[in-house]
Amino acid sequence: MTRSFPEWIRRPWGSGTAFGQTKALLGDLGVKTVCQSARCPNQGECWSCRTATFMILGTTCTRNCRFCSVRHGVPEPPAPDEPERVAEAVARLGLRHAVVTSVTRDDVEDGGAGHFRRTIEAIRARNPEATVEVLTPDFNGARESVAAVLGAGPDVFGHNVETVERLYPVVRGAGHAYRRPLDVLRLARDLGGGTVVKSAFMLGLGETDSEVERTLADLLDAGCQAVCIGQYLQPTAAQCTVHEFVSPERFRHYEATARRMGFDAVVAGPFVRSSYRSGELLETVRGVRAASGEGEED
Amino acid sequence: MKFTVTLTDLGEDTEDKAEVIAWMAGLGNAVQEGDDLIELTTDKAAFTVPSPVSGVLTEQLVGEGDAVFAGQALGVVETEAG
Repeated sequence: MTRSFPEWIRRPWGSGTAFGQTKALLGDLGVKTVCQSARCPNQGECWSCRTATFMILGTTCTRNCRFCSVRHGVPEPPAPDEPERVAEAVARLGLRHAVVTSVTRDDVEDGGAGHFRRTIEAIRARNPEATVEVLTPDFNGARESVAAVLGAGPDVFGHNVETVERLYPVVRGAGHAYRRPLDVLRLARDLGGGTVVKSAFMLGLGETDSEVERTLADLLDAGCQAVCIGQYLQPTAAQCTVHEFVSPERFRHYEATARRMGFDAVVAGPFVRSSYRSGELLETVRGVRAASGEGEED
Repeated sequence: MKFTVTLTDLGEDTEDKAEVIAWMAGLGNAVQEGDDLIELTTDKAAFTVPSPVSGVLTEQLVGEGDAVFAGQALGVVETEAG
């Protein structure tokens, strides 16, 4: 059945020389991206600009969240040479800001934290000028896993709250608690030194204005300095349905609200995803810190 | 020279299937590289396919409501060169 979308839910399909080069480069290195696995609608734009968000620890997730189209099942063991391949991809793409995320690996003892750490270190060794952002799974809230990732000194530690508290069990699945991502963010704040703490969530799942504001307040309380807000788009018929396509005007309203509440950097819009404009977001936070005399870099 | 516009394969992890909503360029229309040629929809969003070259759209190989797949020819743009 054909789905219909409002006029603002329209993106360019991937095409052109630069898109093809990005695809070939990633394919040659055997590097996976969330752009592909999550069927990201921004893939055409991003790959045409020679940027991508890397997905490590395989393409099979041990969880089965109801908003996500990443394959669920029993994953292969992590590939030992993956960190170097990702680092090489960062170099060949000429990225100044590399974003690395992963599937959830409840089957691995540290949740894959060590693999994250090795990937950050490999990127830094091969690309000393690049900044590095990670978007991690929750590691079941394990302090030592969060600490292991932060030990490699990522510039940004991201972990997504995904939705408002009432809808959290619906979107993530029964047994998942809204407090978990907030606890992970709080750990990152407490353990991270100068690392920017960031989160993201989706609109269009049936949340109310007051619930959105409550979520923003919770994120601030957990130590988030940067937040991304985007439209939930149903990947396939197997995932949650879209309750509403939120207008660009309402996204602007939430962006202004989040700024007023105290976030250093906010990006909100229908096609905003966790890694969207992430390099600019980092620069914004650093600019705010520098202006307030809080800067820790250098 | 005839340039066949195909639907790009986005990657190995996705099943690239879409449905044609409408042509945005008419037969015989001059198009510039990057101009939107056709609108498609997937489960997730609507997409436009930009013309990879400048020229004249001389063939529309798919029509409204057709299912299209990665690698499939969508239309033909005749470029001035050749």
